[in-house]
Amino acid sequence: MSGKLRVPISVSRIGIAVIAATTAIAGLALCGIAFGRSPGELLAILAGGSIGSSFALQGTLLKSVPLLLTGLSVAVAFRAGVWNIGGEGQFLVGALGAFLGARYGVIASLMAAVVAGAIWASIATAMRLWRNAPEVLTTILLNFIAIHLLGYAVNGPLQEVGGKYPQSDAVPARASLPLLGNLELHAGVVIAVLVAVAAWYLLYQTAEGLRLRATGFNRSAAKWAGVNVDGQLIRAMAISGAMAGLAGGIELLGVTHRLFERFAAGYGYAGIAVALLAQLHPLGTIASALFFGALTTGAGELQRTAGISSMVATLAQAIVILAMIAFMRRSKTSS
Amino acid sequence: MTSQLLAAIPLAIVASTPLLLAVLGELVVERAGMINLGIEGMMLTAAMTAVVAAQWTHSITIGFLAGIAGAAAIGALFGLFAIRFAVDQIVTGTAVVLLAQGLTGVVYRQLQQSAIFLQPVPRFNTDVVVPLAWIVIPIALAFLLWRTRFGLRLRACGELPAAVTAVGASVAMHRWIALAIESVLTGIAGAYLALALSSGFAENMTSGRGFIALSIVIFGRWKFKGALLGTAVFGIAAAAQYALQASGRGIPFHLLLAMPYVVTLLILCGIAGRVRAPESLGR
Repeated sequence: MSGKLRVPISVSRIGIAVIAATTAIAGLALCGIAFGRSPGELLAILAGGSIGSSFALQGTLLKSVPLLLTGLSVAVAFRAGVWNIGGEGQFLVGALGAFLGARYGVIASLMAAVVAGAIWASIATAMRLWRNAPEVLTTILLNFIAIHLLGYAVNGPLQEVGGKYPQSDAVPARASLPLLGNLELHAGVVIAVLVAVAAWYLLYQTAEGLRLRATGFNRSAAKWAGVNVDGQLIRAMAISGAMAGLAGGIELLGVTHRLFERFAAGYGYAGIAVALLAQLHPLGTIASALFFGALTTGAGELQRTAGISSMVATLAQAIVILAMIAFMRRSKTSS
Repeated sequence: MTSQLLAAIPLAIVASTPLLLAVLGELVVERAGMINLGIEGMMLTAAMTAVVAAQWTHSITIGFLAGIAGAAAIGALFGLFAIRFAVDQIVTGTAVVLLAQGLTGVVYRQLQQSAIFLQPVPRFNTDVVVPLAWIVIPIALAFLLWRTRFGLRLRACGELPAAVTAVGASVAMHRWIALAIESVLTGIAGAYLALALSSGFAENMTSGRGFIALSIVIFGRWKFKGALLGTAVFGIAAAAQYALQASGRGIPFHLLLAMPYVVTLLILCGIAGRVRAPESLGR
């Protein structure tokens, strides 16, 4: 391993991602026709609402933070060949953990989020290793359980003292993430980028990362080469869950300050689109998260001004995933 | 408590009928060698198209047909990627679910602003779906898969696709037909869910039934008897949930809502270790 930092990015891989992202935007613009709006008008609202002003840009950056972390979570898991579709649930228990740890300050709170996410993901690993239950299904089922656990928490033990709405009280001020300068941005932006760099370092600059990727690339070959495959899966899943949990903790301490029923809002599932657009590369995930962050804020603006459901963002995520897997197959067969 | 549980069983059978239809459809598809997570999206889309069509035409029959068409459209998208492009089925399935959630969310919000939605959702009276799902369809499908040459070949697509190619038959065609069967069943499931069990469409109203169906297929060891048994076990657990709810024993409502998913996890862990999946599942 040389001391130089090498980032394996090729132009064609970026080209594929750009085409996929453009396809999704074009798809949305065409949807506009069905609603009796011109594609240009929709694009203008999307762009204006996401990058058109400093306020919009800050909103985009804020949305990109959880997307970056859930995207990294998916990238690490998929690189190791484990299907962690449980980002949504890990995000939620991470937020729950952060809420419970909030009275001990912001550092303890974020650590609680990390641990909670890792534990939630590890339930699925344990079921895989002991009972051979497929993690695709167990992680998804754990999402639903986490959603109802949160529903129970904010309607029961963690409900606000006033007891008026199904939400928790706000976390204490000293557990809130500090703001950056005089912006609306919280320190979670910095944390998320650092985690992305750390994930890149882990995957591409350490022996652990090589073993992890080898396990995902060809499990039996890795086993024959002497890799402890089970141990690799346990760690990959725990790291993946920890990242999604951290995303939930940061969202609580930086943005919402309260827990409520629809807290996750699809960030976990969106992570799959974020990771695939970045072709599972941690640094590419930064760009990919910014794209989807812009899309999410832009979609919010579409709902406010044009009355078109913000679910268009979910639609775009699906188009990106489908475009990416179609292109990646194309490039595989042509090489 | 026991009497409450007994009283809840007929309700549970009716309530788990869409689930059973999804289980039966997924069983056929998995026997043909595919894992279709997209079934959740197929059911959700079917629920919406069924409601819209039924409101528009005041016809339950057209509602069910539209449900099948909606499920088939999403199923065809899955088939395009899983069969034609032969890309990863789990990623494809996840994308298809997101697509269906996004699409139904957007379209439904748009339609709510139109005049169709002032129409009442027609009532569903004579219930032929329950006996069909619990008796007729399982027998017919079991006959098709285990007593016909077509069924033998379909199952071979899930075990050793090369053998199907070797006798000059098309793996792709058998898989498309399996998907078509699943589309019909999940279409009915979605329509039944929206028109018979609920009075209309709601965002994400399938609430994970598709994923539960996949788990029950594993629990039932990819057999129809197992599928019926698994759905029945699940239905009884659901009945227990209703009974507990009715008895007012102070178990918080939201924890009861989590019960189906906990039961499914236990079902997966209880049996999955000892079963053999179709050899070429997911490839």
